[in-house]
Amino acid sequence: MSLPSFKLLRPRSIEEAVGYLAKHAGTIQILAGGTDLIPSMKQRLFSPAYVMDIRGIEEMQGVHVVPGVGVEIGALTPLSAIEDSEFIRRNYRVLHDAAVTVASPILRNMGTVGGNICLDTRCLWYNQSLQWRRSCGFCIKKDGDLCHVAPGGTRCWAAFSGDTPPALLCLGADVEIVGPKGIRRLPLKNFYSGVGDAHLKLDPNEMLARVFLPESSSGWKGSYQKLRVRGSIDYPLAGVAVAFKKNGGPVEAARVAITAVNPAPLLVPGSDHALVGRQVVDEHVATVIGELAAKTGKPLTTSALTPEYRREMIRVFAKRAVLAAARS
Amino acid sequence: MDQFSIIGKRIALVDSAGKTTGQGKYADDLSLSGMLIGKILHSPYPHAKIKKIDTSRAEALEGVVTIVTGPDAPNKYGILPVGHDETALAVEKVRYVGDNVACVVATSESVAEKALELIDVEYELLPAWFDPEDSMKAEKEWIHPQRPNNIEKDYHHVFGDPDKGFAEADLVVEHRYLAAEVTHAAMEPHSTLAAFDIDSQTGKPGRLTVWSSTQVPYYLQHKLSIVLEMPMAQIRVIKPLVGGGFGGKSEVIPLEIIAAVAARKAQAPVKITYTREEVFWAHRGRPRTIIDLKTGVKKDGLLTSVAARVVQDGGAYCSYGVVTILYSGALLGALYDIPHIRYDGYRVLTNKPACGAMRGHGTVNVRFAFESQLDEMAAKLGIDPAEIRRRNLLKPPCITVNNLRVQSYGLPECIEKVVERSQWKQRKGKLPRGRGLGIACSHYVSGAANSIIRSDMPHSTVNLKIDRDGGVVIYTGASDIGQGSDTMVAQIVAEVLGISLSRIKVVAADTDLTPIDIGSYSSRVTFMNGNASLRAAEDVKKKIVAAAAKKMSCAPEDVLMRDDMVWKRGTSQPHSNGRGAEKLLEKTDAPRGNVQEVSGRVEGQTLRGSLQQKRKEEGPKDSMSFEEAVVSAIDFSGSLTGTGSYAPPKEARGGAFKGAGVGPSPAYSYSAQVAEVSVDEDTGVVTVHKVWAAHDCGRALNPVSVEGQVIGSVWMGMGQALQEEMVWKDGLLMNPGLLEYRSPSSEESPEIEAIIVESVDPEGPFGAKEASEGSLAATIPAISNAIYDAVGIRLRESPFTPERVLAALRAKKNASKALEITRGSDPSAPTAFREHGGSTWFKDKGPQRHPEDPARRVTTAHTVGGDD
Repeated sequence: MSLPSFKLLRPRSIEEAVGYLAKHAGTIQILAGGTDLIPSMKQRLFSPAYVMDIRGIEEMQGVHVVPGVGVEIGALTPLSAIEDSEFIRRNYRVLHDAAVTVASPILRNMGTVGGNICLDTRCLWYNQSLQWRRSCGFCIKKDGDLCHVAPGGTRCWAAFSGDTPPALLCLGADVEIVGPKGIRRLPLKNFYSGVGDAHLKLDPNEMLARVFLPESSSGWKGSYQKLRVRGSIDYPLAGVAVAFKKNGGPVEAARVAITAVNPAPLLVPGSDHALVGRQVVDEHVATVIGELAAKTGKPLTTSALTPEYRREMIRVFAKRAVLAAARS
Repeated sequence: MDQFSIIGKRIALVDSAGKTTGQGKYADDLSLSGMLIGKILHSPYPHAKIKKIDTSRAEALEGVVTIVTGPDAPNKYGILPVGHDETALAVEKVRYVGDNVACVVATSESVAEKALELIDVEYELLPAWFDPEDSMKAEKEWIHPQRPNNIEKDYHHVFGDPDKGFAEADLVVEHRYLAAEVTHAAMEPHSTLAAFDIDSQTGKPGRLTVWSSTQVPYYLQHKLSIVLEMPMAQIRVIKPLVGGGFGGKSEVIPLEIIAAVAARKAQAPVKITYTREEVFWAHRGRPRTIIDLKTGVKKDGLLTSVAARVVQDGGAYCSYGVVTILYSGALLGALYDIPHIRYDGYRVLTNKPACGAMRGHGTVNVRFAFESQLDEMAAKLGIDPAEIRRRNLLKPPCITVNNLRVQSYGLPECIEKVVERSQWKQRKGKLPRGRGLGIACSHYVSGAANSIIRSDMPHSTVNLKIDRDGGVVIYTGASDIGQGSDTMVAQIVAEVLGISLSRIKVVAADTDLTPIDIGSYSSRVTFMNGNASLRAAEDVKKKIVAAAAKKMSCAPEDVLMRDDMVWKRGTSQPHSNGRGAEKLLEKTDAPRGNVQEVSGRVEGQTLRGSLQQKRKEEGPKDSMSFEEAVVSAIDFSGSLTGTGSYAPPKEARGGAFKGAGVGPSPAYSYSAQVAEVSVDEDTGVVTVHKVWAAHDCGRALNPVSVEGQVIGSVWMGMGQALQEEMVWKDGLLMNPGLLEYRSPSSEESPEIEAIIVESVDPEGPFGAKEASEGSLAATIPAISNAIYDAVGIRLRESPFTPERVLAALRAKKNASKALEITRGSDPSAPTAFREHGGSTWFKDKGPQRHPEDPARRVTTAHTVGGDD
């Protein structure tokens, strides 16, 4: 399969990139690591007139500690840099644990934090070649107007399948968006729409530039548990991130988030109440979190393994994540 | 001194350096000047008549050279003489989603892909069949009109008196087993480059040369000859390096024919390389199989009777299907002593890609059923699972009830070894909850005693040429597909001639240069091509020995050859610079051995002069170098060549009943395995921790290669056991890529202890038998039996995915949630195939096509999403 033809743009600064976005909005795709975009372009899920390779933008690279404020992570930081960062591992454990599970070592060298946050939603009926989709019948998300996952439905249920966003949600991360009107910053939880075929609240002329981790969530205990068939390569079929603050005393703050079972990564409502104030994080509270997480998830036939099984695993993995975080 | 100088030594494969450094050339690495790229248009429908193909818009696209369609090459072909049901491109109708409709030849891949969008095809949809048991009931619109009820072939074999056997049994157990469809997933996708020479006399396209990723160059040459209506002598097939076959390249794959037809029409070289999705459509893997198995045993565990009804979902073409369904029945025999066998086999056509041969061809799924059932019966009778297998061993040499001749039989030792190494007696049944051990056995042919082309010609022929430089060139038709056949023939010849490997050059799998070998499949190469190599080397050795005997004034039988030296029996072995064959290998900078010692010059004629001079000075001698002996032989006879061929002996060729041709083999390999697994009872995830795999390969010509094959077989079997499955929805493959097909990664690979058992077969080359396939089948039941040991559930449907395991665990606990997870289907007692294939992932989620959906339109003439 060949790539569709396109013009390649290689900006060296955010300003230049924003200029290109403004000029070609709607016909341009941003390439960071390319691990998701390139295969998708071969499958003709995207046939943009322009591909903007932003890897040359220095100011979007790297992990920077800002004392008293937190950590600033450039959108172009490779996932392997998160994996290898002792600082992240020590202070933001859940993010480290999640980054380690993404795809395979080779893909983590190319794949970026920003790419993982913006990752296109996935569905077995969507991530297929043009020929395949034509044989099957095109779906809402691309070229068609019906859904194979929920026949009769008009809403796209393609699942958000990034591993790091649930961890970032647990840490209360903010994202910085750049666009023609300048810079805006918003909590990551407000970045996702919950709709499979337009999953980001990002205008066509905007771009994710940085992620901020607040210092207030530094040192939280954390764990990420991922359901997959293989121990490497696979996207999550369900994923649960848990992080809480506990220093000898009771749990002071907590968040639980899930991924790969909804069109967006979601914080699990009620999980903070269930955890905060607990002197001991035990099997009992873990079970409660498992129930809450399973209630939040809405797995459908967007991926391998049955939805029922995946819901069940959200329960099991949430429980395990809570207990693992307690030990972390 | 060792009995052998290079046989049985752990040596690196002779082609490994090129592969590991990237220097090696595979088919897709090749290019010719003026080469064009071919891209195939595939059917979007599972079953439809082609009413019209309009290629005019595509032809108008700049860069498109020509477009080939079915009528350009309508001759039918197929790998089996009884199954000529394929054409290069669909002639009247398409039979599966992915069937080949047209081929665009263009200056680049992207132009060709664009042109595919511009071909307008008018289809008339026909009812399609996706489930073999439904398909067998079809009364009209058969997939191939000459195959009523869509049954490709059915066989009904009775050996002994099965009913009497069941009557004598103390325990009879009967179950239905299901095995999902799996595919080879070879690393290298299929690729073919075809080019015609211009005939110097006529100026028209003359001879055809095809470079292709194939296991069977000779069959390819033969089928090309049928389709292109060219004499075989005008066709040359060359096999470059092949990146794995596993059976997927053991027959002629559509692109191989299409590339040649396209090259002829385009009058330019054409290369076609499949995308991974196209590899899945070309497929020819292991069919989804329904096995109704009934076994009878006495109280002491002795088998009295076996009855099997096997239905295989063969896909839209015959492929190897008739052979597959026969292997499923025939290899019920030759492993254990079974006095009575009934076998009913149905190979059924469905509107899906054709299934064919895959590692362990035909035997794997039935073996899973049999070994699982045997384990279950052992548990019921309170007999140790290893012990019940021991009690049912054959007593070779013998002929089984279904006419299979068994000579060497290392199974008892295989069982003994894995029981000992796994500490079976101390640990079985005593591991903590959730962890268990399981045992199973399997076997496989060392090549089929009757070739599929029903010819009496030798199955393998090998030629040797030796020149004055002492270099030995082996011309063999054996196709090295990564299994190491080039190394195998080199070792055999080196051993016979007593020379180092570095003297040997292997010219293989080029139909212009190498004698006919019927191909690399059914694990026949070591046994058959190895025997031919052995005979060729002995033939040439005779000539060398005769000349050397004369020079040394002794009888030919007193001439000894080893370590690149030739000497007279009774004298001590001459010093060959202290280098044995292995050591010479390591010293790659001295590729011609001890030539330097002889004369200081290496050119043939000079060498000859100096040797004669030397001889005059020295008179008769007790020893000489290999070169000297070779020169004497050439001086004596004018040239030095040898040839050897192999055809299986009559006694190994089986019975006379219908279908008796499949199953017989000159020798069978044997395997016993113990798997140690743990089961996570919360998630249903099965982890394989270790597999002890003992394989009787007769003699390990190269132990490292044998171990590699055993490890690969176990790993591939584990994939089928736990996670691999082709998932279908209305004839549409839901996982046509390696991301969603999910072969195990290195993360899931357990420790595999490969144990070599050498039974030394009386007819194998140096006693060798097959090593590449026989170990696969035992892995699946070894794992299912270990799961039973760990958590007490019997899984009768493969793969043992987490949701199936969890459902079975819950069913066992009678939990009400048990059935929800796999949607109404209890995997511990499946009675029918689920809708559309092995999984319920997509049940009730079918493509109800929207009226406006472009795919609904009968003509598909859309450029979709393409603003490029």
